[in-house]
Amino acid sequence: MISLLGRAAILVALAACSVGAVAGLYGGWKGSAEAARWSRIMAWAFFGAVTVATGLMEYALLTHDFSVHYVSQVGSLDSPVWVSIVSLWSSLEGSILFWAFILGVYAAGQAWWTRDRFPAHSSWAMGMTLVIGVFFTFLVAGIANPFGLVDPAPANGPGPNPLLQNHILMVVHPPTLYLGYVGMTVPFAMGAAALLAGNINPAWSRALRNAMMVPWGFLTAGILLGGWWSYDVLGWGGYWAWDPVENASLLPWLTATAFLHSAMLMERKEQLKGWTLTLLMGSFLLTILGTFMTRSGVFNSVHSFTQSEIGPIFLGFLAVGLVFTVVLLAARIDKLAPPTEGLAGPVTRDVAFLAQNLVFTAITFTVLLGTVWPLLNEAISGERISVGEPYFNQWAVPLGFLLVFLMGVGPALPWGRPSASAMVTRAGLPALFTVLVVGLLLALDIRAPWPLAVFGASAFALWVTIGEMLAPGLARWRSTGGSLPIALWQASLKARRRQAGYIVHLGVILVAVGIAASSGWRHVHELTMIKNETTSVGRYTLTFLGSEAVQESHRTASVARFHVSAGSNELGTLEPRMNNYPRMGSPLPAPAVYSGPREDLYLSLVQVDPRTDLVSLQAVIQPMVWWIWFGGAVMAFGTVLAAWPARKGRPA
Amino acid sequence: MNWKVLAVGALLIIPLVWVLAMGFGKDPRALPNVLEGKQAPGFALQTMDGDRTVDLAELRGKPVVVNFYSSWCVPCAQEHPWLVKVAPAYQARGVTFLGVIYNDEPVKVKAFLRRYGEAYPTLIDPAQRTAMDYGVAGVPETFLIDAEGRIARKFTGPVVPDQFLAALEALL
Repeated sequence: MISLLGRAAILVALAACSVGAVAGLYGGWKGSAEAARWSRIMAWAFFGAVTVATGLMEYALLTHDFSVHYVSQVGSLDSPVWVSIVSLWSSLEGSILFWAFILGVYAAGQAWWTRDRFPAHSSWAMGMTLVIGVFFTFLVAGIANPFGLVDPAPANGPGPNPLLQNHILMVVHPPTLYLGYVGMTVPFAMGAAALLAGNINPAWSRALRNAMMVPWGFLTAGILLGGWWSYDVLGWGGYWAWDPVENASLLPWLTATAFLHSAMLMERKEQLKGWTLTLLMGSFLLTILGTFMTRSGVFNSVHSFTQSEIGPIFLGFLAVGLVFTVVLLAARIDKLAPPTEGLAGPVTRDVAFLAQNLVFTAITFTVLLGTVWPLLNEAISGERISVGEPYFNQWAVPLGFLLVFLMGVGPALPWGRPSASAMVTRAGLPALFTVLVVGLLLALDIRAPWPLAVFGASAFALWVTIGEMLAPGLARWRSTGGSLPIALWQASLKARRRQAGYIVHLGVILVAVGIAASSGWRHVHELTMIKNETTSVGRYTLTFLGSEAVQESHRTASVARFHVSAGSNELGTLEPRMNNYPRMGSPLPAPAVYSGPREDLYLSLVQVDPRTDLVSLQAVIQPMVWWIWFGGAVMAFGTVLAAWPARKGRPA
Repeated sequence: MNWKVLAVGALLIIPLVWVLAMGFGKDPRALPNVLEGKQAPGFALQTMDGDRTVDLAELRGKPVVVNFYSSWCVPCAQEHPWLVKVAPAYQARGVTFLGVIYNDEPVKVKAFLRRYGEAYPTLIDPAQRTAMDYGVAGVPETFLIDAEGRIARKFTGPVVPDQFLAALEALL
């Protein structure tokens, strides 16, 4: 029954999407408001139909209806409720359905947002979004159909991939990332609309930037949650391994971040239109590349879905998207209106923006090249090689440092041509602060050059950013008097987007410091302990209290208990474990972490057998990992603040 | 039409799509071993105690197990006790077991062997020349060499006990 209903809903969605796409493109081409209205109505219908389909699939998963093909593949009577819910995105077919659902949410949001504005562009944009919707719904209706009927229905299923059941973050990480990935569709469609319409005005520039803010925020959060998941689940004590799929999520983030900055030049001076649109549309195409990487089975990664038929189709879609984008850019780039204002140079904020764009593009190319290099090498010489962390780190560390450096220098520079004395007042104090911080670190005998450089650049950027955030309020307070906090608050309200941008920068600084410290001073200790043995690791004292076997509905586990203290401080008990899933040959470690702003103590079991009193484990001590997650939260907060719609009647 | 944009775009797109398309139908997890079935690269290396030199050429006629490892590698520590346990039975049947140090210092390796056991000689590989000849990408890697001096099997990562024993039995 659900098979039938689900399939019907998908066919309705496909029909709505197709009609809406044609109506939207026609409305853009002919300037027909009526056609534009129909494309919006169809976007709502598409949203409604995919929501019904997704709801039906969740219902089937929760009620263990094994007559539905997808449920028979990933469902299990032994799964806890939360595992059944997240099974929706644990395997190929369900994940594409989920993708279509999120696209439906975005399409409806776009229809609502553009319903009574941007007459020159909104119909084209709606049409383009729905064209992409047609592709994904077509996949769900055809090759990746999750609603196939299984007859006779099996009595039970195997349950989803154990890696996904191992941690509660699996509830959050994939949907967040999907919201980022899928959401790139909207700015892509809007960028294409600008080119199709052959013009881009400041209002549309601003709309593009706002449309990118939402998926960018989700992508940022998704990447950091992925790092957190990897840290908390995979048991090797790291959060980033330059795995092809991690790279795949980083690539669109890099171009999208570059876009958010060059779009400011486009908005302000109508500069760099072609380049900015390239970054914008490239970001979406990179999400498709990333999806291809996970779904095609071509890359070796913890994230890979099984090899499937869908790879060539995705590649075809990617190729069509690339050709469409390039041809459209080539055809229309000269039609866009010329800049209203020239770029100022050489020591100005304009140039800092350009440098920032250049560095982001350089990182994008380095990561892309490293990711596809194994394929390239095999295609040419027939030999498969792997590109490891050293390659990526060799490039990412100096380029990352440059970014932090520019994040400090950029805002310190004025928009116009600076005078020498203005530069001294603007950069003098932050430079002094930087010297103080670096001096202090040197006095503490910290000598590693790269972390030291990043700390110095972070100190500079921190001072500049906070200074920039306070400046408008201070100016107001000096001119009007009264209470300083109120002046700061009121000035901030007036410049919400600007302040929000700086909050995001503060988050980036925290993340950068966390990455530099935790990768610079990582200590791995290998221990083998016998029951009741006490040993010291760094400043901690560990006592192995013993291990036991635990039986849970969907897995068995061996849990080792350690008492942890630091000096006279009792820190409690840590319980790293080894989980055994019936579907998986080898056990999966689930590490236990004692986390704090100063450092993390990370325990991951190597071997444990409750029948003996022995345990082997890795204890990893890394400083300041906590700041990465905290900085991520700050970035997320800043993004929400920036993207929050303005009150009606006031421009965003 | 802006031909420059078109040309640059084509220059980026065509190689990218071509490379991705070439990846189909290949298993990304299978690291091909070009050495299997070929003559094993020769070596003559000093044992860690410095008391003798082991020359692979002199071991012809009986199978040889060469295990590249180091003290800093966790999977090595996981597989080592098992190798030490099974080695004596096969040594009695004529198999030579050799360890080769990879990127490590003898002092640390000695501590490693005290902890995880020692059942066969460990050789010093100056400047990793032998590891390079064998294409060692990471430790542990284990090579089974047959009586004719050909590489019969290579294990990347810790040896899988059943497969290792089956492959070794096949050489006897």
